[in-house]
Parts: sequence; C-alpha cells; structure tokens
Amino acid sequence: MELLAVFSPLAGFLIAFLFGRQVGDKGAQFVTCAGVIVAAIASVVLFSQVNLADAPYSRVLSEWIVAGDFVANWGLRIDQLSVVMMCVVNVVSACVHIYSIGYMSHDEHKARFFAYLSLFTFAMLMLVSADNLIQLFFGWEGVGLTSYLLIGFWNHRHSANAAANKAFVVNRVGDFGFVLGIFSIFLLFDSVQFETIFELAPQMAGVQLEFLGITGPALTIIGLLLFVGAVAKSAQLGLHTWLPDAMEGPTPVSALIHAATMVTAGVFLVARFSPLYEYAPEALMVICVAGGLTAFVAATIGMTQFDIKRVIAYSTMSQLGYMFFALGVSAYGAAMFHLVTHAFFKALLFLGAGSVIHAMSDEQDMRRMGGIWKHVPATYVMMWVGALALAGMPFFAGFYSKDIVLEAAWADHTWFGMFAFWMGIAAAFMTAFYSWRLILMTFHGRQRADEKVMAHIHESPNVMLMPLVVLAVGSIMAGSAFYGGFVGSPSDEVVMRDGQAYVSAWNKEHFWGESLHVLPQNDTVEAAHHVPLWVKALPVVVGLFGIFCAYVFYLWREGLPERLAGALRPVHQLFYRKWYFDELYDLLFVRGSWSLGLVFSKKGDGGIDRFGPDGFALVTWKIGALLRRMQTGYVFHYALVMMIGLIGIVSWLVIRSGGVVAP
Amino acid sequence: MGFEKFLFYVFAAITLFAAGMVITRRNPVHAVLYLVLAFISSAALWILLEAEFLGIVLVLVYVGAVMVLFLFVVMMLDVDIATLRAGFIRYLPIGALIAVVLALEIFLIVGPANFGLQQFPSPVPAGPDVSNTEELGLLLYTLYVYPFEIAAVILLVAIVAAIRLTLRRRPDTKYMDPAKQVRVKKGPDRIRIVKMPSESAAVPAVAASAAPQESTE
Amino acid sequence: MQGEFEFSAWVPALPEIFLALASMALLVAGAFIGNKGTRVVCYAALWSIAVTALILIGRDWGRSLVPGGMFVMDSFAGLTKLMILAGLFAVVAMSIRYLHQEQINRFEFPVLVMFAGLGMMLMVSANDMLSLYVALELQSLALYVLAAFHRDTAYSAEAGIKYFVLGAISSGMLLFGISLIYGFAGSTNFDMIAHRLEDMEAIRLPILVGLVFVLVGLAFKISAVPFHMWTPDVYQGAPTAVTTLFALVPKVAAMALLIRVLFGPFAAMAPDWGQIVTLLAVASMIVGAFAALGQENIKRLMAFSSISHMGYALIGVIVADEGGVGSVMLYLLIYMVMTAGVFAVILSMRRDNLAVESIGDLAGLARTRPFVAFAMAALLFSMAGVPPLAGFFGKFFIFVEAVDAGYYVLAVLGVLTSVVAAYYYLRIVKVMFFDESAEPFDPNKSLSGRAVLFVAALFVLTFIAWPQPVISIAYDASKALFIQ
Repeated sequence: MELLAVFSPLAGFLIAFLFGRQVGDKGAQFVTCAGVIVAAIASVVLFSQVNLADAPYSRVLSEWIVAGDFVANWGLRIDQLSVVMMCVVNVVSACVHIYSIGYMSHDEHKARFFAYLSLFTFAMLMLVSADNLIQLFFGWEGVGLTSYLLIGFWNHRHSANAAANKAFVVNRVGDFGFVLGIFSIFLLFDSVQFETIFELAPQMAGVQLEFLGITGPALTIIGLLLFVGAVAKSAQLGLHTWLPDAMEGPTPVSALIHAATMVTAGVFLVARFSPLYEYAPEALMVICVAGGLTAFVAATIGMTQFDIKRVIAYSTMSQLGYMFFALGVSAYGAAMFHLVTHAFFKALLFLGAGSVIHAMSDEQDMRRMGGIWKHVPATYVMMWVGALALAGMPFFAGFYSKDIVLEAAWADHTWFGMFAFWMGIAAAFMTAFYSWRLILMTFHGRQRADEKVMAHIHESPNVMLMPLVVLAVGSIMAGSAFYGGFVGSPSDEVVMRDGQAYVSAWNKEHFWGESLHVLPQNDTVEAAHHVPLWVKALPVVVGLFGIFCAYVFYLWREGLPERLAGALRPVHQLFYRKWYFDELYDLLFVRGSWSLGLVFSKKGDGGIDRFGPDGFALVTWKIGALLRRMQTGYVFHYALVMMIGLIGIVSWLVIRSGGVVAP
Repeated sequence: MGFEKFLFYVFAAITLFAAGMVITRRNPVHAVLYLVLAFISSAALWILLEAEFLGIVLVLVYVGAVMVLFLFVVMMLDVDIATLRAGFIRYLPIGALIAVVLALEIFLIVGPANFGLQQFPSPVPAGPDVSNTEELGLLLYTLYVYPFEIAAVILLVAIVAAIRLTLRRRPDTKYMDPAKQVRVKKGPDRIRIVKMPSESAAVPAVAASAAPQESTE
Repeated sequence: MQGEFEFSAWVPALPEIFLALASMALLVAGAFIGNKGTRVVCYAALWSIAVTALILIGRDWGRSLVPGGMFVMDSFAGLTKLMILAGLFAVVAMSIRYLHQEQINRFEFPVLVMFAGLGMMLMVSANDMLSLYVALELQSLALYVLAAFHRDTAYSAEAGIKYFVLGAISSGMLLFGISLIYGFAGSTNFDMIAHRLEDMEAIRLPILVGLVFVLVGLAFKISAVPFHMWTPDVYQGAPTAVTTLFALVPKVAAMALLIRVLFGPFAAMAPDWGQIVTLLAVASMIVGAFAALGQENIKRLMAFSSISHMGYALIGVIVADEGGVGSVMLYLLIYMVMTAGVFAVILSMRRDNLAVESIGDLAGLARTRPFVAFAMAALLFSMAGVPPLAGFFGKFFIFVEAVDAGYYVLAVLGVLTSVVAAYYYLRIVKVMFFDESAEPFDPNKSLSGRAVLFVAALFVLTFIAWPQPVISIAYDASKALFIQ
C-alpha cells in the first residue's frame, strides 16, 4: 500500500516524460492523473491503517549508500506524521492535476507540465516518507528542482525565468544551512537514520558542539541549522522573497507547490524533528519569534498588494508564520493541524483565483476586475468558502486550527509565546481584512475590466470546478472532523458507553502516537484547552471586525482606501513595497556582488582578469598546445619518450637508493 | 681461465660487435648479415651452456628461415638509406646518452655485485647421456604445458594475421580453382556442341571450353 | 609432475577453454564460408561470448589454481573477466553494421576479437610471469592486427604499424624485467616471488628495477604517461569499431593485471612501487587533461580522455589497500559503461554513408537527434564527473580512498585536472546544443548501437538511485586479492 502511495506518481512521471510523444497529451494527462489518484486513495487507506489503528511501521526498500559507518537506505517511514502529509500531498495533488487539465488546455507542452507535476508529487512524497536525512534531502532537493522547473515553465517569459532563478538561489542559501545541519547531526549521532537520532537525542541534551568557532549546545546549533533550511523552503521572514515572485508559474503550480505542499516542508521538517527540538528550547524560541514576525509582516504586505495571486501568496507566508510559532511553542500537533486545513483552503483559494484569471483572459490585477460575480457564480461561491476558512470564521476549517494555534501560543506563558499570540491576533485581523478586500475588489463593485475582456468572461469548465468542490468540502469539514484527532485532549474525549467511562481513541495522544514527541511540561496543546474565554473568542472577533472594515473600505465608501493610504503614506509605502526587502537585498547582496563582478570582469580595467581566469585559460591552452606538439606522429619519437620515461624512473630509483647496491 | 671461458668471451665479443654493426651499417643488406652473425654467435653461447637444442633451433629457425626471409625482403625493397639516416646525427646525442645511462644502470644491477661468479656455485655439467631436447620436452609438456598451449594459440593468431593483412585477390589476375577442376564432368562441362546452319564452305564445328578462366583441357 | 592428465584439474579455466575452442571453430567455419558469412560468424561469436560468460557465472569464484600454478581463478578475476566479456559482446554487436558499411566485413574480425578477449581473460588470471607474458602477447598480437584491419587505408595501416613497433618495444622491456626478477627471485611464479620477497633487503633495488621494466610494459597497455604516445594515433587511425574495443576492454584487463602483479608478488614493496605509480598517475592526469584541449577529432579526444581516466584509476592503486582496489574496480566499471555509450554515438556518426569523426560534425545534434544528444550529454557530464551522475561516484570513491590514506595532494591534483578535463567534455555538449546545425547524420539503423547507448545513459543517470549493488560487487571482488 505504501509503495502504491509513493511510487504511482513516479510511474506517471516516467511514462509521461519518456513516452510523452508516444502517448500524446491526452495519454500523459491520463496516466499522471491516474497515478496521483491511485496514490491519493492509497494514502487514505494508509491513514485508516496507521493513524486510526495506531500502527506505524517503517520499511527498508534497499540499501543505498554504505560507506564505513555511514549507512543510508532507501526506506519508507510510515508513521502518523508522514501519513498525514502523504494524504495532504496526494489529495491536493490529485485535485491540482485534474484542475490543470482545464487550466492548461491552451498550452502546447501539456505532457511536460503534467510530468513535472507528477515528479514534484513524487519528490514531495519521498521527502515526507524518508526514514533518514539523506533521503529526506533527496526529496528536499527534488522538490526544489521541480519547483524551479515549474516556476519557469513558461520559459519564454523573462520574468518567469528570473523568478525561477531567484527561487533556486534563495533556496540554496537555506539548503546550505540544511546540509550543515545534516553534517553536524552525523558528527554528533554518527548516523543519519531518524530512529537512531531520536533515540539518542535525550542523551545529547547537554552536549556542546563547536561550530564556526562558537561553542554552544549541540542540539540548539543543529536545530537552528535545520531551521535555516526550513526558513528558505517555507518562505519565512528573511528568505521569503522568492515566494511572491514564484507566482510567475502557472496557477495550479502555485496552488500545489507554493501553497499546499512544498512550502510546508519546513513545518514538516521541524515537526519531524520534534524529539530533537524538545531538547533545544533556544532553537524553539527563535522559531517562535520568526514565525510571529512572519505572520505579521506578511499580513501587512498582503493588505496592500493588487495582484490577486500575490495577495494569496503573502497570505500563505503569513499562515506559514502561524504554523512556525505553533511549532515554536511545542504545539506540533496544532501546527500540523493548521498545515492540513491550510492546504485545503489555500489550494482552494489559489485554484479559485486561477479560475478567475482564466475567466478574465489572464488578467491578474484586481484593479481591473470587479463586479463579475454574476458571470462566475460557482467560482464566486468557492472563493467565499476559501476566504471564510482563511479568515477563521466559526465552523470553517481555519477557525479550528487558527484558534488552537493562538491558544497554544497564549498557553505557553512565555514572553515569546505572548509576542507570537499578539502578532497572530493582529495578523488575524489583517487576514480577514485582505481576504474580503480580495473578494470585494474581484467580484463586487464596478466592472473595471474593458469591454473585450468582459465579452469573453465565462465560468470555468467542470473539470476545473470539480476539484474546487472537493477542496471546498475539505475547507469546510477538515477542521471539525479532525479537531479531535489532531489536537483533542484525551480528557475531553471521554465517551460513556455501556455505563462505563471509556476514552475514545480519537485524541492527540493516540492519533500521533510516537511520531510527535512533546515533553510533558511543554504540552501547550493540552494547556490550550484551558485558556480563558476571551482568548478563545478574540480571533473571531478581530476577524469579524476585519471583514467589516473591508466592507467599509471597498464597498460602502469607495475612495476611502486611497485617502487613508495618502494620510498614512509612509506606512502604506512600507507595506506596499514589501518592507523594502527586495530593495535591501538588491542593495546588500545583488549590487554588491554585481559590482564586485564588474571589477573582476572585462569591463573593469582587466588587470585582474589577465592573471585570473583568462590567464589560467591561456596557460592551460598553451600547455595543451605544447603537449599536442609533442605528439609528432613519428614512431621513433614515441619510442624515445618511452625510453626516457623508463630511464628516468630507473635513474631516480638508483639515485634514491644511493646508487649503491648491497653486495 | 679455462678454454670454455675463453670461448665464452670470444663469442660474447662477436655478438656485441655484430649487434653494434647491425645498427650502424649504411647498407641494410650488410646489417642483416651482421644480424645473422650475432645470432650464430649467440647460438654458440647457448651451446656452451649445454643448451644444445636451443642453440640449434636458433640457427635453424632464425638464421635458416627468418633471416633469409629478411634478406629477401630487404633486397627486394628499394630502401632509401639517405632518408633513413637523415635524423641519425640529430638524435645521436640523446640516443647515446640514453644508451649509456641504461647500460650503466643495467651494469649496476646485473653487474658483479649481484651476478658475480662468487655469488653462484658453478653448475654441475650434465653427463653425456642427458638429452637437452628430452629435458626440454618433458618440461614443456608437463609443467609448462599451459604457456605452451597459449603460445600455440599465438601462432594461430599470427597465421590469421599474416593472411588477413597480406592476402589479396587481384581482380586482374587469373586464378585456378582446383576444386572446380576436379569436379568437372565429362559431358557438358568440357564440350559444348553448338548447332549451326551448315554453310556453303565446309567449316569445322566450333568447340568451346567450359569456362574462359579454366584452361583445363 | 608426470601424473595422469586430469581434466577436472583444469576446470577453473573452463570459460577460457571454451572460448578458445569456440574461436578456433569459428575460424574454421569462417574459412569455409568465406566473407559472405561474416554476419553469421559475428552472431556465432556473440553466442560464444555469451555462453562463456554463462559458464563463468556458473563457476565457483573461490580461489583455485590449475596444475603448474600458472593460472589462478578468484573473484577478482571473475569480475574482471565478466567485464571483459561484456565489453567484447558490446563491441562485436556494435561492429556488425560498421564492418558492413566500411566494407571490411571479413570473418577474421570477430575471430580476432575473440582471441584478443581470450588473451585478456588469461591475463587477469595470470599467476606466473610466463603466463602473464604469453597472455599479454596473445591479446597484443590480435590487437595489432585489428588496428590495421582496414588495411587499405593509410591511417589504419599506420595505426597497426605504430602499435606493433611500440608494443614490441614494450614487450621487450617487459621480458627484460621478467628476466631480472627471475634472476633475483629465483622463480617466475607469483606465490614463490612473494615468498622470496619476505626477506628482500639485499635484493630490493634489483627487484625494483625489474619491476619497473615490467610496469613499463603494463603501463604501455593501459596507456599511462609517458608510455601513452601510441594511444592518440592508434585510436584515430584504427577503424572505429576497433577503437571502441581498444577503449573498452584491454584497458580493464591490463589494469587488472597491473593490480594483480603489484598486489600479488610485490605486495611487500608497496611503498616503493607506490612512488612509481604516483608518477604515472600524476603524469597521466595532467597530460590526459591538457593535451585533449585542442583536439578536433573525437576519437583522438577519447584517447586522451582514456589516458586521464587511467590516471584517476591509478590513484586507487597507489592507496594500496582493499578499499583502493575496490574503488579502482568501481571506476573501471563505470568507465567502461560510459565509454561504450560514447562510442555507440561515435559509431553512428555517418553522413552520406561515410564515417565522420570531427567534433564539429556533432553541431546541432540536439535539434536533429534530441534523444541521442541528450544521452551523449549525460555521458559526457558523467565523464567530466558532474554529480549526481555515475562518473562522479567513480571519481568520488577514488578521491575518498586517497584522502583516507592521506594522499591529499593526489586528490587535489585529481580534482584540478578533472576541472580542466571538464572543459573539453562540455565543449562537445556546447557544440551539440548551441551550435548551428550541421547536416543531419544518416539514420542510425544499428539496433545494438542504440541499445548500448540507451543502457549506458540509463546507467549513468540512475546510478545514484541504486549504487549499492554495483559498489559492493566491485569492493567484494577486490577482497580476493587480500586473502592470503
């Protein structure tokens, strides 16, 4: 079953990629879709076997690399955590695959697109089901590569190529940290197998490690290095700049990779290493603060953007911030819960946005939309569902997960927990605000698109709407359905049956089993069930207020936003310019290395060049020419060289031994 | 110094002298003849070592067959000595240097320090009834049968090589095919009788041979 | 000595015996059928090679000797022979069409290839200086003829002559070395020599000089610098099918023989010969990398490429332990697969029914033949040692062994020269992908050529997913040399 769940997308990829021409576009679409659908069904079956029955297992497929002490296998670690991720990945991927049949119907390279999508799915599955760090890294790089390929899928667009490169380069920074993390883990634990690492982690709590001349607690250093990788992959503040630009890719790609799955790999990584992070409280603190800041900053930017996909992208970043500060307060279950619900409603929002863009003849600027809800009723409803879930309105998926995340942060009772809590509350307000800003600007108000676009406007075909429905059901149901399992307290789930108190299996202890490790004193999820009522209610209240503000600004008092933006010009500019991150990096790194490059390049005075690369090249070439000239073609020259070689060696030996032969 | 030793030095000196002449003579025919001399004197050395069989084989095979063939080839080819020797002076210094150094080094290794007579007991001469040929044969077909067989395969490859590299069928040469000749039957193969209308003048019937290439009558 | 002849004692050499008999049978058959039957003889040769391989696989690979102790069979020999047979098979399969196209479809070709293969198999099993010498001569003689096989072209004849003359010189040195070693050690048998060398201080230098002469003879066969001079000319001049053979098989056999000699009788002298081999390795890496830079003829380029590859492989020999030899075997295995793939492409380079060999002829291959260009690019990247392709792992394991044993300078030098070498491999990729298209090649009808290319490309691309079986095969085989 686990093989089916992991390898069917690979099969789909191989067929579509290698025999794309033979099977044709239709065939490629069919095999890749069939592959992920089979995988999705298989992972749901796994879910019932592993999570509901609490029966995790791991399976070694084959040896991979064995070199001395270093052992890495191809293995599948099928525990609760990976099965949850597999379900999310496969279900969302299946939806996106089907949706893409409609969305990419005008594209010329369908087979290639579907092949990449399937390859991405496979790499992501490898990442989540890895049982050692090397395989995880393989998946990690695999998703990075396919992300690069898919962002730059429309490679005739300059901006797409630039965005793809940016994503790749920024992720390399993170990968560097991640690789260092792997090295130090191997250094400390002498193994890259999760099993061994987790078993030994408690004993390593006090060990010191020297890194870059700084001696510190080993687990904290490792935790921070791994987190650097997670920061880049999950677009946390600092290394987030690639994510908005990645929206140059086709929208289904944004939905799958840059909302539901790949960007959550960082969250998964930290959750996977919970047995290690539990003994590295300083690392958790950093994660928590970074998450809180990201949630806040991304939300402020999201309020001011006009590109529909970028708004959702910043909201993704903000929601990832939520997940991280949940991780930071040891509420791994809550983070995973938010990850799952977020995957549903964010994929829904993206695919809905894609549907809008498709309908508006590839228009992405919300200032040129408006008043189209009558033309695309189904999409409109779907976007409402997604926005309600995102804003955390009661009984939608986001409500449950966002609440438990915020409550856990409050219940941590530490300064950074409080910081994250208030950042989260502020972000919750802004989330609701920009969600409705998006809906109102897109669907309501005046029709700002021109005649030609409005004439073409049409509801998307069923093949695109169907996945939306599936995701919408998820966005509505996932929260209430999984609340008990993901974060439910054992004590809350006491069921009376046959007159006896009976603890239902549907609680977090039973659900996660050994896959998440939380020290008893850190169990903030448990504590989150016992917070004051105002903490529980606050997110909803600010959310409603945010929605109200959006209505005031964008429907009832048009023109108010501009006036407000004018009044608070510096602040608005700060938000609109994305806190000047791109400009800052441009100034600090890009320009710097660019001008450094100029100094060294031919455009500089050329002095360095002559001795540097060009000089080397010239010398190399001259040596080559000399050696080529020696190849005269005359046999006696060749024989001469052989003889000289022989004599040389023998003479050297004789001289070395002093020329004296023992009698 | 016994007579044997004297003979050894004589033949050794002849061998060295002849070898030197081989590579310095201008006329290739002379060079080949000196090579023959070198072979003969080394055969004599072998016989001195009681390796009669090897000595005789050297004379028979190398001198008798190989060198004669060589001589034929050299005499038939019009070797331009001037071009062959063009680079001689140019390469003489380095060639000489290499030769001298190599000789020195080999002397150092194989010289008296290691191979002096005092290092080895002198071998007991075999009696007159010991046959060198038989001894060799015994060893060759028992202990050394493995390399012996491989040597046979090498010879086979050499035959294939010689045939492959030199045998050509020229289209303009006439060949006989004995197999075909043998298989010729009396009847239609030899004589074909052609019916012709009789002409006024009495002309004998025309007989044709079986095939133009086979003049086998 | 004069016992009854017992066939069962010769069973360790069964594959070789079969191959020899099959070659002779095919020779006779070919002589009767004539050149019309070349194709049939080729197919029969393929079958014979396959059957030989099957016999070999079916045999026990434990260490065993034949009477006289001149032939040893162990797992090291087993793996090497299997590689040799695989190489022969690929070469014969790919040549059938080539011989026909070049109008040299003579039945002697497969027969000579088989004889050469027989010589190589005997080489890797040599356990005596004598059997070493005769086996080496058997394969050399067959190869000389093969180099000159296209006797009507001046290039081929020149290649044959050059190879023959220089090969004779190297054989002379080899023999001289053997006689020196015999003179000082008192035996030609490897085990006896090893025994004699246990107390060797007195004869260290003479034996070492003898070993140098032997090494020169072997270095000539693996074309290590400075005994490499024949390689470019012969690679270029010989018919491409023969060049393929030269690049694939004799290198492996000679390297295995070199290892067997160094680690068998002369294991005790490892520090001494290590320095000589270091010299060969360094020179080979440097010359192989630099001299190839300006080459226009792709066969010539492959000659220098093979020189540099042998240089890398020699690093593993210098390490002089089990891991080092294992890394050499792994390197050779990967090298064979890559080279086979590249030559499959070179064999398919034909335009207007004429073979073309210049790198410029590959221009724009990515447009005219995308699959071939892609596979070729993968192979070239792999040869350059770009991760994560197979070639990278070959170099990686060699360098790891070198660093483990403390040979940092060698490893650094290896990395540097492979950077230089990467230039000329990537230049071909550049020509294929970015240059203006030359005229398209004739359609490649050779099924075996395409199959070899496909398998080779698949191997280098997927090696990373499943390296362990290959790695352990190579490392296990090397253990046989260290069990005493």
